[in-house]
Amino acid sequence: MLRVALRGLLAHKVRLAATAIAVFLGVAFMAGTQVLTATMSRSFDEVFADVYKNIDVVVRSNREIETGFGSERARIDEAAVVPVRAVPGVEAAEGQVQGSLRLIGRDDKPIGNADAGPPTFGLNWLTEPALNQWKLVAGNAPTGPGQLVLDKKTATDNGFSVGDHLKVAVQQGNPEFTVVGIATFGKIDNYGGVAAALFDTPTAQSLVGQPGTFDWINVAGAEGLSQTQLQSRVAAVLPPEDQAITGAAFTKESQDTFRQAIAVFNRFLTVFAGVALFVGAFIIYNTFSIIVAQRGRELALLRAVGASRRQVRTAVLAEAAIVGLVASVLGLLGGIGLAIGMRALLRAVGFALPTTPPVVEVSAIVASLLVGTLVTVVSAWFPARRASAIAPVEAMRDVAIDTSGRSKVRVAAGIVLTLAGSALLWVGLVVKGDNAVQKVGGGAFFVFLGIAVLGPSFAGPLSRLLGAPLARFRGITGRLAQGNAVRNPKRTAATASALMIGVGLMCLVAVAAASIKATAVDAIDSSVAADFIVNSQGFDGLPPSIATELATTPDVQAAAGLRFGPAEVGNSGQFVVGLDPRKITQILKIDILAGSLDDLDTDQIAVSKKVAEDKGYQVGSAVPIVFRSTGPQTFTVGAVYDSQLFRNGRAYLVSTDAFDANFATSEQTDRQVYVKLRPGVTPAAARAQIEQVTDRYPTAKLQDLTQFKSSQEAQVDQFVNFVYALLALSVIIATVGIVNTLLLSVYERTRELGLLRAVGMTRAQVRGSIQWESVIIAVLGTLLGVAIGVSFGWALVTSLASEGLKKFAVPVDQFIVIIVAAGLVGVLAALWPARRAARLDVLQAIATE
Amino acid sequence: MTATDTPPAPAPPPPPPQNSAARTVDATKVYGQGDTEVRALDGITVDFETSRFTAIMGPSGSGKSTLMHCAAGLDTLTSGQVFIGDTDLSRLSEKQLTILRRDTVGFVFQAFNLVPTLTAAENITLPMDLAGRNPDQAWLDNVIDTIGLRDRLGHRPSELSGGQQQRVAVARALASKPAIIFADEPTGNLDSRSGAEVLTFLRRAVDDFQQTIVMVTHDPGAAGYADRVVFLADGKIVDAMVDPTAERVLDRMKRFGD
Repeated sequence: MLRVALRGLLAHKVRLAATAIAVFLGVAFMAGTQVLTATMSRSFDEVFADVYKNIDVVVRSNREIETGFGSERARIDEAAVVPVRAVPGVEAAEGQVQGSLRLIGRDDKPIGNADAGPPTFGLNWLTEPALNQWKLVAGNAPTGPGQLVLDKKTATDNGFSVGDHLKVAVQQGNPEFTVVGIATFGKIDNYGGVAAALFDTPTAQSLVGQPGTFDWINVAGAEGLSQTQLQSRVAAVLPPEDQAITGAAFTKESQDTFRQAIAVFNRFLTVFAGVALFVGAFIIYNTFSIIVAQRGRELALLRAVGASRRQVRTAVLAEAAIVGLVASVLGLLGGIGLAIGMRALLRAVGFALPTTPPVVEVSAIVASLLVGTLVTVVSAWFPARRASAIAPVEAMRDVAIDTSGRSKVRVAAGIVLTLAGSALLWVGLVVKGDNAVQKVGGGAFFVFLGIAVLGPSFAGPLSRLLGAPLARFRGITGRLAQGNAVRNPKRTAATASALMIGVGLMCLVAVAAASIKATAVDAIDSSVAADFIVNSQGFDGLPPSIATELATTPDVQAAAGLRFGPAEVGNSGQFVVGLDPRKITQILKIDILAGSLDDLDTDQIAVSKKVAEDKGYQVGSAVPIVFRSTGPQTFTVGAVYDSQLFRNGRAYLVSTDAFDANFATSEQTDRQVYVKLRPGVTPAAARAQIEQVTDRYPTAKLQDLTQFKSSQEAQVDQFVNFVYALLALSVIIATVGIVNTLLLSVYERTRELGLLRAVGMTRAQVRGSIQWESVIIAVLGTLLGVAIGVSFGWALVTSLASEGLKKFAVPVDQFIVIIVAAGLVGVLAALWPARRAARLDVLQAIATE
Repeated sequence: MTATDTPPAPAPPPPPPQNSAARTVDATKVYGQGDTEVRALDGITVDFETSRFTAIMGPSGSGKSTLMHCAAGLDTLTSGQVFIGDTDLSRLSEKQLTILRRDTVGFVFQAFNLVPTLTAAENITLPMDLAGRNPDQAWLDNVIDTIGLRDRLGHRPSELSGGQQQRVAVARALASKPAIIFADEPTGNLDSRSGAEVLTFLRRAVDDFQQTIVMVTHDPGAAGYADRVVFLADGKIVDAMVDPTAERVLDRMKRFGD
């Protein structure tokens, strides 16, 4: 029977092309993700190993706080280095200062992509040759305030050489520095792919750290001493609040942190690869169904001459396995190419990635081949079963009879799947619990599957309805398109379902995004009293001097900065917001439910209504908070507020003084500055005055409320566009599916088309009718997708109402675009099949026996 | 009707007879080249007179279907000319041929005559719908009543018997009042009673509606309904018979076996 399978394969290679393409694209996406993330992991492993190469032991604080996005460790007092240096076997010990800042280029703009690129590292220049891997290629080491050393790549790319001056954006403002030296990191021109500026230790401490402290202490041991031996010797002299770990362990920590981050990225992309394969499964199912139907007589003949049901089934499945395997192998190769391309793309948009040859792990190879082949075989399972059920007598029948899919079993199965999926989705969204995300994903999967199984029972009537205007207004061409879309509901349903998935997810994202944007805009409208907002570009905040200078601008009634800092409250990472309590009511519309904000003391805190309800806080309650710099502190609730701002009203508000008391100097920056104008002054009139201040700060971005709202919306849109791009692959696969179905249908309808041509249908009319049929299928799938996407979106938004997602918005304009685009997809998908149909040789078609 | 073996002269074609609905002049169709060359039509000149029922007969491979295809604008000649009315088909583009078939020619094929997604009524008006023309309703009613399928008009072909399907096909061919109808073994797949019905309709179309019909058949019984029979063998016209009967045709056919 294998020979039959192989013969079948060769005879139907064109028809199997769609299957192969669907598997190829899905597997390529999956393999590409694996290879890209593995390569990035490997290269960052190498970067960290390289950066920490000379370190044998690291001395650091024991205190670590949870920030909500990773943990942060307290800095260590610089005095701690003294006893360490005295430990026998320690060749060198020197404190490390490391933080981020922005360099201002010659064009007075921040260097590098502030929004997407990595920050510039600010480091102290290590004076111990045993620890310092930087090699000066020009000039000298920094030895005092106002001096810095640049990495060679940054210096070259931005045209700086020794003796030049450049500004640095930090908490203190934009102090000017002299480039005293240019250095390479080992043999590499920059710091593991990232720009770096090096200062002497006191300068680095004040710019990117905390005066009098180090982030950690690097220790190099004497020859012949192991890291572990050195670690235990060093640990013996440390106070209890400090710890010593080996350089190897320190390196591994950094590598693991990065690996965890990349694993999240990997999972995110893999979901989309899974969606693509799921969509592909419909194409495979459909292709094999059609092939089995068209080969009905041949298969019946096999049965008639003695092949068992099992043999027929095996032949079909073997065919599927071979196609799946071949396509998976190609997909794997395509994925490797994709990963290389993606890396080049990331580099092009400003991510400085180290160059490592692509890493193809065995697990990636096995997973790609296995998943691709399995998806193909599983998708071909039902068609194979149907093939094996063909009775030998059908060999003698004239026309293969397609048993239409309105069986009760099918309807029941579809309903059960849809309901079970909805229930699982609801549990995941509302009850949450363990694996909520998996439950939501699984629920969505089953709903899609359920609707697809139900598809044949409603695809007929729906297609007829969709085609009705065509039949009415496009004459016989439209009537034929309608008739053809309706004639095989199973085929139409499976083809449309494939498109439904991609479109459904797009619409879900569109609804979620529109709701998030509506909520954000609503929050700004209802909570912001200011006329302008100064935002900081990139990761680092703005110097407090901006708010001070703006406050003294004539047209300005009040200018207040908001500082954001991570802290740990009850073992969970939270945000503490520092602001001027006396100004807050001028810049924000904030409801005070209890207590007073105006006279918030440095030991007092304002909590939101939500937090107060969750934790049972009242005015006077004690709130324990752990800060990175100052450790555990206790605040007293001075006020309870209600606002949609501040992380949907979950942030802890303290006075600027209290904030500054608990954060390092370099962290005392404003994330945003709110500016309220004097009564009667219009924003347009005051703008020039305000720009006089903000223009002097290259990292400051002045926005009026309209601009602020649209920049908030733009952030959401950016993410949405990224997800759209990832879902586009699924839509492409679904389009291949439409092309395939139409091609197979055209092949099947050869005689019919011949007849139509004979009695006077022009080629243009033939093309038109196929195109309209395609449009009906595409629009059917899209409408189903829109319906499901809106339902999912509604469920998602509703379940997140308690998290502050208050508005449910349906972007009708986007949906219209999506539906019109679906029509175009239909037209595009029909191009080739319609051409083939139009080119049909009339004589051959009507002569076909 | 003359058959000739001499090479075609570059002289202008003879003037058409007054009553010719379609005609071929020295029609030649060659397949293949050199050793594998097959002359399916070997210089056929024939007239199909208006309002007459002509049958084309001949053994398999005699070229009767090719002749019909070429005369109906479904296929093109290697050399020679085909006229429908005054129109020289060899001068028409593919699109013009399609429109000619749609507006001027009616077809009845042996099988697979109807579009399965369309109802009987839609199948009948198909050529006019393709042209975007409204059918002549009185004429359409007349045709439908003649074939006697008024109560089946809303049915799809799969819900009709083979005989009913062929009657719908005949109605379609008649509905657009074409200059000529070509029927290719229209009764080939029918039992004798249904076949007789279909042939009766074709006969009535000629007698009552002055329709011109050309029918390819190998059934002497079917040929007996025609006004005239043209016999083909090896791509040439070898004989003709006016007012044939089934017996006479059968006698003539038997001689091909010799």
